[in-house]
Amino acid sequence: MNTKKEKRIGIFICHCGKNIAGGLNIEALVEKSKHIQGVVYVVDNKFGCSEDGQVAIQEAIQDQKLNRVIVAACDPSLHLMTFQRCGEKSGIEPQFVDLIDIRKWTMHGSPYKVAPEQALEKSNKLIELAVKRMSLKRLIPLVEVKAEQSVLVIGGGVAGLEAGLDLADKDYKVYIVERLPTIGGNMALIYKVFPTNDCAPCILAPKTAYANIHPHINLLTNSEVKSVEGYIGNFNVEVVQTPRYIETGKCTGCGECVDKCPCRVVDNVYSAGMGERKAIYIPYDQAIPKKAVIDAQNCLYFRKGVCRLCEKECPTDAIDFEQQLKTIDIKVGAIIVATGFDEYNPSSKSEYGYGRYGNVITQFQLARLLDIDGPTAGKLLRPTDRREPISVVMIQCVGSRDKKTNDYCSSICCMYALKHAQMIREMILPDAEIYICYIDMRTTGKDFEEYYRRTRELGIHFIRGRPSEIMEKPNTKNLLLKVEDPDIGHLLEIEADLVVLSCATIPSEGAEQLSQILGIKRDEGGFFKEMHPKLRPVETNVRGIYICGAAQGPKDIPDSIVQAKAAASFADGELRKAKIKLPEFIVKTSQLNQGG
Amino acid sequence: MEEVYVEEFMSPGCVGCPAVKEMLEELSGEFGDKLIVEEVDITVETARAAQYGILSVPAVAVNGILKFMGVPGKEELKKAILEELER
Repeated sequence: MNTKKEKRIGIFICHCGKNIAGGLNIEALVEKSKHIQGVVYVVDNKFGCSEDGQVAIQEAIQDQKLNRVIVAACDPSLHLMTFQRCGEKSGIEPQFVDLIDIRKWTMHGSPYKVAPEQALEKSNKLIELAVKRMSLKRLIPLVEVKAEQSVLVIGGGVAGLEAGLDLADKDYKVYIVERLPTIGGNMALIYKVFPTNDCAPCILAPKTAYANIHPHINLLTNSEVKSVEGYIGNFNVEVVQTPRYIETGKCTGCGECVDKCPCRVVDNVYSAGMGERKAIYIPYDQAIPKKAVIDAQNCLYFRKGVCRLCEKECPTDAIDFEQQLKTIDIKVGAIIVATGFDEYNPSSKSEYGYGRYGNVITQFQLARLLDIDGPTAGKLLRPTDRREPISVVMIQCVGSRDKKTNDYCSSICCMYALKHAQMIREMILPDAEIYICYIDMRTTGKDFEEYYRRTRELGIHFIRGRPSEIMEKPNTKNLLLKVEDPDIGHLLEIEADLVVLSCATIPSEGAEQLSQILGIKRDEGGFFKEMHPKLRPVETNVRGIYICGAAQGPKDIPDSIVQAKAAASFADGELRKAKIKLPEFIVKTSQLNQGG
Repeated sequence: MEEVYVEEFMSPGCVGCPAVKEMLEELSGEFGDKLIVEEVDITVETARAAQYGILSVPAVAVNGILKFMGVPGKEELKKAILEELER
């Protein structure tokens, strides 16, 4: 074993052009490193990752008979594998090549940047520590384990379906776990998509329908992941399924039970609070699976022990009040997280009166009102008096680009405001006055700018400013807004029938808990964190767990699809040989955790 | 081995991590210079944690070998260090 051999450690200090060399004295760092015990060779290089830089490392390994290499350069998530491959070519085990990040202290724009003297001191300490670590590090034996030919996809929205279908078509067994009673996610509920104005459920339906009949896909709706143990190739997953109180094999989705149910409740999920449903319901016409579900919290039988009308009316005897919470254990080789997003609840932005003024709604609620299959059958009626609005004001960046709430740009709000403005003007209320109050219009996707121009040409009013406050007229429930438009230098006063808030995209409910279950990190906004923001956007800190779609950060549908395909491709790449070499301790430790 | 290098993987807000830290501080008192402890924040050093395949913190690696995930008993931890010293 290498551990018995003399440790010959070489240190390669990268300038990274001026990114490192501009922020610390490389010459001094080289000199200090030469005096660290165990180090036999130190050299600096303008670009360690360049072809020349790698050749220099390989030559030094040969000439100096190095058996340990430490590269002091950038973030290991970026280039560790580059240098490990480089070392491997010269006969050094990847585990004996380390990359330490000294650039974080020197590079312009880095949050960790410090003065050159401090950068030198910190870098030297880090190198000393790495030398000690590498000189004591033992070679980890690898073992080959079987990789399960199955994948868990968490989330049945467009990203999860895309990833699941890609893998199922490659013959992997795919489990799609969806918290709600139907798959399709947010996309099924937004009516139209920008910039084509296609009907969202229509273009989504081929995917939902295919997932429903695919022989390699097992849809677990009304279900959540409760625990995950193990490692890539062998994750043991516990899924908990909430009862529908319906035997899905018998239910035909005829809806007779729904018609007879006497209990009406506000539908906060599929109608975004804009309409009602029954205590037994089918989420919407194109729901997949199209099966009824009983909301036990509101059902009269569960609440008071009376009724059971649905049971009497069901022509196929599908109602089963005895169903219990079910635990399903599955074993998968990889996991794809596609839990999507929620719309920010703007109640805490009290200046806009959401929740206090009846005619202030969100864009997601507006989408449900505009949908011909929505709670108003596509009529735009304002909530307080069910009257068609004459003037509609949209306010952008509510809960986004805001230090007090979410710092980030939600990326899709400009486009969906434009979409809704077009729809109201062209399809629903051609004479309504529509205003969009914005900070900047961000329309950076393909054909987006043209879409923006077309919206302007439709006579929509764009005001480059946001109202500081909204007041409600008590008698009419109209809304009064004052907004300064710097483009025309006037304070505008608008009386609106309806105000629509373009709210931030936030991580879906349960993201925090799921991150704990999976052991994957989240970013400052609460979205799941990728391994590297530029170059490794779907990998996580846990090998074998990938992220895609809005679960990783706000994004539109095509970007979600691209990421889903990338995540599926990664999972396939890891599992396709059906065997994986892993460090022995990962396998052993996980077995211990499982009580094995 | 004359020395042992312990990587103590932790993250901010981790409930069990302070207990491991305390144990290692106590063991440092016993082993002196023979024991080198590095605290590794997995939210910063994500790549290193990923290399080890760490799914949860606290976790402890001794001379590059991941030995514990979860809070180990102090005696178990001490034994793992002694085993390395005796190699």
